[in-house]
Amino acid sequence: MMAQMSGLPWLIRCAGAAVALLLVCGLATARFGSALQQPSVTTRDGSLITLHRYLREPVPDIVLVGSSVAWRLKEEYFSLPRFRNLALAGGSPVTVLEILAKQPSLPKIILIETNILSREPDSELIGQFSGRTRAEAPFLRPVRAAVAVHETWNHAPPNAAQARAEQDRLLREPPSMFDNKAYLELALRQMNEGEPTGPVRANVARVSELIDEVQRRGSRAFLIEIPFEAGIEDSRLVTMSKAIVQAAFPDQSPWLPINPPRGELRWADGVHLDERSALIVVRAIESALAERDGARRDK
Amino acid sequence: MPGRVNRGDMTFTSLQFGLFVAIVFGAYYLPPLRRFQVQLLVLASLVFYGSGQPALLPLLLLAVLGTHLCLVLAFDNRAIWMPAGIVFNLALLAFFKYKFLLVDASTAYPIGFAPLDFLLRLPLPIGISFFVFHNISLLVDLTREKRPPPLRDVFLYIIFFPQLVSGPITRAGQFMPQIVPKQLANVDFAEAAKWILTGFFFKLYVANNLNEMTSYMDYPLYETVATQDRWLLVFLYSYQIYADFFGYSAIALGLGLLFGYRLPVNFDLPYISASFSEFWTRWHISLSSWLRTYLYIPLGGNRKGPARTCLNLMIVMTLGGLWHGASLSYALWGMLHGLLLVVERPFLKVLGEAGPVVRVARMGVVFFCVTMLWIFFKLPNFDHALGYLAGMFTPTDNPNPTKLFRNMALLYALPVLIQHLGLGALASGRLRRWEPYLYGALAALAYLEAGPEAAFIYFQF
Repeated sequence: MMAQMSGLPWLIRCAGAAVALLLVCGLATARFGSALQQPSVTTRDGSLITLHRYLREPVPDIVLVGSSVAWRLKEEYFSLPRFRNLALAGGSPVTVLEILAKQPSLPKIILIETNILSREPDSELIGQFSGRTRAEAPFLRPVRAAVAVHETWNHAPPNAAQARAEQDRLLREPPSMFDNKAYLELALRQMNEGEPTGPVRANVARVSELIDEVQRRGSRAFLIEIPFEAGIEDSRLVTMSKAIVQAAFPDQSPWLPINPPRGELRWADGVHLDERSALIVVRAIESALAERDGARRDK
Repeated sequence: MPGRVNRGDMTFTSLQFGLFVAIVFGAYYLPPLRRFQVQLLVLASLVFYGSGQPALLPLLLLAVLGTHLCLVLAFDNRAIWMPAGIVFNLALLAFFKYKFLLVDASTAYPIGFAPLDFLLRLPLPIGISFFVFHNISLLVDLTREKRPPPLRDVFLYIIFFPQLVSGPITRAGQFMPQIVPKQLANVDFAEAAKWILTGFFFKLYVANNLNEMTSYMDYPLYETVATQDRWLLVFLYSYQIYADFFGYSAIALGLGLLFGYRLPVNFDLPYISASFSEFWTRWHISLSSWLRTYLYIPLGGNRKGPARTCLNLMIVMTLGGLWHGASLSYALWGMLHGLLLVVERPFLKVLGEAGPVVRVARMGVVFFCVTMLWIFFKLPNFDHALGYLAGMFTPTDNPNPTKLFRNMALLYALPVLIQHLGLGALASGRLRRWEPYLYGALAALAYLEAGPEAAFIYFQF
């Protein structure tokens, strides 16, 4: 009986300390909210932070939904006021479209990236952010919160003028000469593997339904296609996805054609635009939106 | 790659496993079932293994029954049946681990003979490297006894679930005498809790979080990482692999204690080793002891002159490297460790008498070399490993290198540093009364700051 007798108080103190620390972290979250759950080092963390922020703040005018391809188009690159990039790295545009459609208020414009439609919607995220009571992370993560505070303190984002100047500097530079051959080969191999026709068809059908739904509620939805590197454009996944999307949306009206100078674009890892190229694409999206707006006013 | 292994749902860090242990523990000490404790643990171990790889349960049974048969027959003729049992086990290991050196893995019917093709298509059985070594230990150690142990004891020794998947590799001579009726009153819950909580903390807080960062060491991701971060990642991986395997071993030890079995300690602060030979008495101790007992000493050890000793060291370390997998990287990793052991041998005596400054410098050198060699472990594809090494000395021209949060890396690696710097010993010394609170804090931190789930690195072996 000796071991147990001496072990019990030890276990009680140990459990007490654990519970006390959890309580403190729970109360800290209740007090400060999920804003401290940064920085994100996983795609899941990033998705949670993006969605928490969207639901916490006033509804923006324009949102962009999509995968990691659109995720590279950083919000600070856009000069449009009240713009939010809700693209989820490693995710499907359907996930956020579903979440948006379940909110009481919608943005005026929803841009839907159609490059990667082979991934299943994340039902867990949809459930978590669609209900009346949104599931906040229950506990503060002390180490990550401390790092977030340190990062924010030391690397505060530049003001609008500084950011604009930095972007202009980047655009004046020549395109990168980085050799992405190894990535391109790997990406091509992955994009020529498997049989994703089923998920793409299901996603496109659901996107179509959700577009109808949000448009009925007064929002405008546009499909956009972000350019890929030539080799990737010819991959099985991309050609097949394009054919299915084009067949589902043959009319040009839901499309927002963007025409960035392709020769200037670079994909550092074979699939995702580098910083300068993302900036060029953002400018192309902005001018396409302005054109569409102008055409609408002319009518 | 750790993720390649089919782990099923019941890993040590899963809720299912927690429930499983609770149920088995409850039943184990129930008075009516006390007579069947060994059988219960055997059954639980089969359930545990079957939950991950049900298709390979027959193979596990075949390995145990085959070994037991050889063991029984060896009592009549040790000269024939003990080697036969060893060959049987090594053949199993060789077939599953090294088959793709000889046949093309990408073809559906590599041989054209259905039963053999079926076997060739079976995945690598989880823990095969570990249970095969248990079997060999059993054959060598117990055939010297007066009579063979009962089959149920043999089963328990080989498939006891805390050590089945990744060790520690327990010698039969150490484990078998522990198979006696167990009493709940003799369980040291505090000690078991300390091991289990430490293990969970190192796995969830340290290893899983560092894994998120070191995944950038994989090909071709490392191409996006800035040169100085490639160096940082190698050191992070060094901490990660320690935290991962030490964490697993600590959980296994704690679980063993809950059921009344003391498994051997597998790690003893390996990164403060002042020589490579010391490193191997502190890292994966159970494997090193096994290799020393069943390979190095039978080869002649250091009894046959300096040249033969060096050759023996090279053989043992190269085979030790290949034990991890059929790749040139693993072989080279083992060979280079063997070479370091050989090279340091003449200097050990001289350096051993030097002062503390030299000792600290030696620790730095050993840690640096061991860490560099982990690159071959992390990247079993030899070309990728060489590519990574070359990249550490070449400036990258990637315009958007991957951002690593270095401060976070330090915070997640800190427990390994604290443990190795001896600060952990304070908790068992002057700060002993605060010990339960410290372990409580570790448990909470393991939960709060758990990194994304990742398989234990040693599951792949």
